Amino acid sequence: MKKFMAVMAMVAVVAFAAPALAATNPFMDVPQGHWAYDAVGLLASRGIVSGYPDGSFKGAQPATRYEVASVVARALVAIDADKASKQDLELLKKLVMEFKDELDALGVKVDKLDKRVAVLEDGIGGWKIRGTFRFDAKFASDTDEGNYYYNENGLKNDFEKERFRLFLTKTIDANTYFYAQYRTGASASGANALRDGRGDLQNMRWSHLFVNTKLPYDINFRVGRFAVDFEGDYGLYDDWDALFGDYRIDGFQLSKNWGNFKGTFIVGRNGAFDTPDGVSENIAGNVMNYVLDLNYTAERWFLGGTAYWWNYDGEANIDADLRTYGIYAGFKFTPAIALKGIYYWQNTDQFWGDADGKAWKAILDVKQEALKFTSLWVEYSQQDNDFVGAYNDRYAIGDGTYDYVGRNLDWADANGRTKWWFVKAAQQWNEKWSTFIRYAHADFDTDWLDNATEWGLGIGYQYTPAIYFELAYDQVDHGDSAFALADHGKDHVLRFRTNVNF
Amino acid sequence: MKKTAILIIMLISAAALLCGSSAEHAFADTFDQVLLRWTKWEKKVDRDGGSIEIRATYYSAEYIEAMIQKEAKDNLWTQSEADDYKYKFLSTLRLDELIPINIKFINNGPTMYLGPFDIMVKMRIGNKTYKPSDYDRRFNFKFQGEKEGLAFFPRFDEKTGKDLLKDVKSVTLEFSPAVSPLLEGRTISFVWNVADDNPQKLYEGKAASRLETDRLIKRLEKLRKDKAEEESKLSAINGEIDTIQKRLDELAKQ
Repeated sequence: MKKFMAVMAMVAVVAFAAPALAATNPFMDVPQGHWAYDAVGLLASRGIVSGYPDGSFKGAQPATRYEVASVVARALVAIDADKASKQDLELLKKLVMEFKDELDALGVKVDKLDKRVAVLEDGIGGWKIRGTFRFDAKFASDTDEGNYYYNENGLKNDFEKERFRLFLTKTIDANTYFYAQYRTGASASGANALRDGRGDLQNMRWSHLFVNTKLPYDINFRVGRFAVDFEGDYGLYDDWDALFGDYRIDGFQLSKNWGNFKGTFIVGRNGAFDTPDGVSENIAGNVMNYVLDLNYTAERWFLGGTAYWWNYDGEANIDADLRTYGIYAGFKFTPAIALKGIYYWQNTDQFWGDADGKAWKAILDVKQEALKFTSLWVEYSQQDNDFVGAYNDRYAIGDGTYDYVGRNLDWADANGRTKWWFVKAAQQWNEKWSTFIRYAHADFDTDWLDNATEWGLGIGYQYTPAIYFELAYDQVDHGDSAFALADHGKDHVLRFRTNVNF
Repeated sequence: MKKTAILIIMLISAAALLCGSSAEHAFADTFDQVLLRWTKWEKKVDRDGGSIEIRATYYSAEYIEAMIQKEAKDNLWTQSEADDYKYKFLSTLRLDELIPINIKFINNGPTMYLGPFDIMVKMRIGNKTYKPSDYDRRFNFKFQGEKEGLAFFPRFDEKTGKDLLKDVKSVTLEFSPAVSPLLEGRTISFVWNVADDNPQKLYEGKAASRLETDRLIKRLEKLRKDKAEEESKLSAINGEIDTIQKRLDELAKQ
């Protein structure tokens, strides 16, 4: 591809000296059936452009690319914004792209024209509405007790409008950006029966809602409801989910860079673990959150620490402060091979059991560029069972109702320390086809509890940039001894996913 | 604890092993190795299945030289042809004034609106950030799928003319969270160590002579223009002196 770019750059330079390159020869005639004639004619007939050109281009006569380019330039200068629709602007943009080289050669400031088009487009619809839609068809099986943990309400087979999200955004000025995410479906809030995606969709919610802007001294400022996910920011988890963090909060975020060093401070409330209830009014609603992250990133390594202070200030007579500290680091052996990890320790109040849990993980992250045929993610983690807030559903193939290897983790076994392995290999065969295989194992360190193993595989097809299909299989074996009979044995699911982005 | 130590040793050994095999593989293909060294990328896969991948390649002297050598080798060029290509390529890159970076988006997620692109990306050098001086205009239009082009950042301070990369260890390319809603407010950034990058190394041989000739011609044109302006000013002042002198003479006669 780099070669292609080099060739493109060369073409731009030698366009006039290489008449053989007919596509960029400005004196070559534009064929009479070319769409550009109709496009300009249409815009003129609708009164979108005035100053329609002189005899150099009349639509019925052959014209050179230079001549058509001059028409495009005039059209853009004279465009009447009040009359133009989005389709008209699309047409003009298409023309600009088609005749970009000629416009450059004519000395027309394409830069200014582009900005003008952008401004016009903003004037018509500066708000951008985009979205993503996911539909899952799941066929589950259970070899033991008839509980289908892969589907909601224990259903065997389930077709769901799993998740539908709309993104509403606006770039207000060069430094200010508004972002909102509106979602519904199985991942929305509410009781299972209301949010399962069957029947009419209910419980729509604004999951993210914030504004970014710039304060004096080059300080980035964010206000609203946003995600706190430093593990995600530094690439410390794959798939689903972080060991700790990845929750949303209502509050303020300030960050500033000093060269390669970055400091981020968050103060907020209503932060909750990313349960279906999301931002809540329970204990978390009575907790002030302070988060500080200090990070240094160089080309080959990064190092940093994050501190979470959750201070309970509710009316109940309880001690419920929770302090969690993490240090993380990563080193790249080559651009495509990295070793990284994070170590957490906690200090909690009585409400949380006066626990001082610890958790950590180490990851070997090998990109496909290194091994050519596959990427490889090897993760090992340990977690004290009394570590508060750790996600035991991590390594699942989906959120919400999917079964997961850590389901039987015995939180009450405070002296226990669960150990996890997670390995994933993903292959991008070409632009369209991809595959993956994955394996997870949880060693619960609880005498009477069997370890659990999960494995799965899948194949993806990127039909167009907007449409993606995936067929995946996943299985969890919980062993023979668990809390309840229903938690024994194996569950598995065959999932057909349709994802559309627009 | 022992188990932990063993595990970490295992992971490091595995990484070292992979590095070894990777290095061996790359040795056979120097251009790919150089490309990988100067290319940074990040892929964000959404839980719904959409994805956005951003790749950026810093046009260092090493990378440009490797690219020219590869072209020469692939096309069986003579030295003169290679010099000619180098001259045209360097002219296009405007390396003596700007820092070119190739940027590629692979967007299998919601539509991206990047216009105007110069507020979507910036380069951080030390404590200061710089907007692109120029960029591929195609970035201004909405798209799904792939889009690739060059963005050029200033190499010299606009006011003082100071070399921005002098004594600088690294530069960072930062993308605004506004590039894609899939980022959910996250900033994507790439760091390159440029302490050992020396673009002046490229300006050697015939291509360098031609580029210097171009520069000198530009400078000569500018000097001629300045000269003409100064002569015009001088002529105007002389005319004014004549007029005043004439009037003084007239007044003296009265």
